[in-house]
Amino acid sequence: MNRKKITALLGAAALAMTAITGCGGGREGAAGASANTQEAVVEESTEVAAEDAAAASEEEAPEEEATGAGFEAGATIGVSLPWLGTQNWKEAETMFKEQLEAAGYTPIIQAADQKVPQQQQQIESMIENGAKVIVVGPIDGTQLGSVLEQAKDAGIYVIGYDRLLENTTGVDGVVQFGSVKTGELQAQALLDGLKEVKGEGPYNIELFGGGPADPNAPNFFKGAMSVLQPLIDDGTLTVVSGQTDFTQCATVDWDNAKAQSRMDSLLSGFYSDKDIHGVLSPNDGIARAIITSCENAGQEIPVVSGLDAENESVEWVWSGRQYSTVAKPTDALVAQTVDIINSLRDGKGMPATDVTADNGVKEVAIYELPPVVVTKANAKEVFANDPSRLELLK
Amino acid sequence: MKVIKQILGGDLKRYTMVVALAVLIGIFNIISDGRMLTSSNFQNLLAGNAYVLVLALGMLMVIVIGQIDLSVGSVAGFSGMVMAIAARELNLPWWAAVLLALIIGLAAGAWHGFFLAKLGIPGFITTLGGMMIFRGGVIWISKSISVPAPEQLKWFGAGYLPEWGPKFTGMNNSTLVLGIIGIAAYVISQLKKYKKSAEVTGTSEPKWAVAARIALVSLIIGYFTRLFGTGREGTSFPVPGLILLILIIVYHTITQKTRFGRNVYAVGGNKSAAALSGVNVARTYFITMMNMSLLAAVAGILFVGRSTAAGPADGTSWEMDAIASVFIGGAAVSGGVGTILETMVGGLMMAVLNNGLMLMGVGADKTQVIKGFVLLAAVAFDVYNKRSGHGAHKSKAK
Repeated sequence: MNRKKITALLGAAALAMTAITGCGGGREGAAGASANTQEAVVEESTEVAAEDAAAASEEEAPEEEATGAGFEAGATIGVSLPWLGTQNWKEAETMFKEQLEAAGYTPIIQAADQKVPQQQQQIESMIENGAKVIVVGPIDGTQLGSVLEQAKDAGIYVIGYDRLLENTTGVDGVVQFGSVKTGELQAQALLDGLKEVKGEGPYNIELFGGGPADPNAPNFFKGAMSVLQPLIDDGTLTVVSGQTDFTQCATVDWDNAKAQSRMDSLLSGFYSDKDIHGVLSPNDGIARAIITSCENAGQEIPVVSGLDAENESVEWVWSGRQYSTVAKPTDALVAQTVDIINSLRDGKGMPATDVTADNGVKEVAIYELPPVVVTKANAKEVFANDPSRLELLK
Repeated sequence: MKVIKQILGGDLKRYTMVVALAVLIGIFNIISDGRMLTSSNFQNLLAGNAYVLVLALGMLMVIVIGQIDLSVGSVAGFSGMVMAIAARELNLPWWAAVLLALIIGLAAGAWHGFFLAKLGIPGFITTLGGMMIFRGGVIWISKSISVPAPEQLKWFGAGYLPEWGPKFTGMNNSTLVLGIIGIAAYVISQLKKYKKSAEVTGTSEPKWAVAARIALVSLIIGYFTRLFGTGREGTSFPVPGLILLILIIVYHTITQKTRFGRNVYAVGGNKSAAALSGVNVARTYFITMMNMSLLAAVAGILFVGRSTAAGPADGTSWEMDAIASVFIGGAAVSGGVGTILETMVGGLMMAVLNNGLMLMGVGADKTQVIKGFVLLAAVAFDVYNKRSGHGAHKSKAK
């Protein structure tokens, strides 16, 4: 009796198992990871696009190993941004949406709230959604390795946006403003400002760096120090606190509050009987934090550099509280990225560039754009084509 | 209705969350044009959330003893960073670095356990301190710069089971074997239970109910075996998923079948009564806290493996995800209630929600809001059910 029951139960189980494992076709092919998404894309694509793709496939295959034949005009393009907490990223989100849609693509744009696991999963969901190109503004350029390699395996182009993608082979190129150059410009603007506002030297200055997880931050600092170090050595500039290493000056997560408390303690620790003349600041948020700190401490406002031309800082530059900022026009960077995507669509591969950077695993093609220093003197010129910022100059 | 009840073993309430999870997966699958139930998506889902689920395993036990551990994210980040630095700068082989990370986890847990068990400082405060200490520690030892991890570690966080054997199965054979083991284990456990209940109580469930139950679960396991096994060549059931699976079995057994497990529930249910009946409360506290940090180290290793680098911000707010999983899974804030399996369902609920919303292209901001509401709704539903015993049955009758 008992045995009979057991046999019956086992039979039921075996039946269920064969029903499942036995039926249905085999596994997806090597390139079929996105089989169902491919269908969706095909539906969207117009006849013209199909012709386009066919024409493109006849052209010579580019040197990239991933794909050769381009893709449809209406293809899905993924854009993964670190967060929307600063103006430049919010602008990037809006502009990517506008420019990609204008070029006929279907964009998926997501921001990851500064959480690396969130960004990893978002990129995976873009792969799932059949994206042909994924643009990544990384939270931490080193922590997306396996996810980006997964994208590469699926034949997707990966373009780094604004920050280098390190420690992975899954990257085809990076679009960014020259970050060492940015640092040089910030330092030069600081020196010009000191001469203009504070008269002849020597000057007392302090140095601030950006978030160490952002690969740009050390480069900004490096660029700036290449200009400042000779003047520190000859005594024109004095870093009163003596803190001149990047790790000492860095601002974790680009957090303005951390920068402000560091400035507070520098002022109370080293400037009780001295004036501070200038501060090197890696971006606008930190610049404003520094200026606020100096005002609270009763210091005369020092010459402070900046970056990003955030609205509030543009106003501050115009009113003279912040000496300078550096504009990295987001629309230019987005336009450059979309140009590359167009080139990939047409089957022409990644455009040629002579700048490369070592990301720890491979040499990555870099597409650099020049940033622009903004002071009160040239603000109107720089923002001539930017009505919303021009509005602030009143 | 009665039929369903008999198939599920007479306790419908236990399955409410499982049904909710299945419905959620179904809805997302429809909205996303079938992108939810694909091999690659489920591989991603498991590999991408294994670290949170591992944390939730330990967190369940901590919450059952009536404590909370806020330090797990920081401990995970710290262990992962020590591992990466040890491998890169001290040139330790990768396995030694992993071992070191686990030891760091144990030591961190012993530290928390000491303050809780020996000095009687509440877990909330002990681990709030730990959270700051280890977060500061990560930033300190890394100088706020990410450190690439040894190549071999990638296997732990993003690896797949090997391919081998005949091709005619049409899927990854490692995954197939795993599925068969799963079904066999379930069948055996059901048969044992069936025999035992007949011997002990004299009455037994109808045969057909047991058979139907086995068929249903086998179907589910079979379906997922196929889902995981038939992805792109070279992919299969992900390694972090396997590690999680093994840990689930281990901790399910510990909490349900061992004396230590019974002590955990006894201490959480009523500390004084447990002490009077001879349970060593301090020891139970100590081991539970130590175990939590050990699992935090495991989570850190999995995450670093997947990310290919350890970063200074790793682990930030992971404790909150783990705690949310435990409470969605029906654990009680006051302690003494909650199981490993329910917690895993709770964790998967969060993971599926996150994944589905991403597939739909919903941003992190809105996802966060939705997750918050789900947490509240799940716990409110649970509390309502417990207060009025009929609630679950009524809602199931629809």
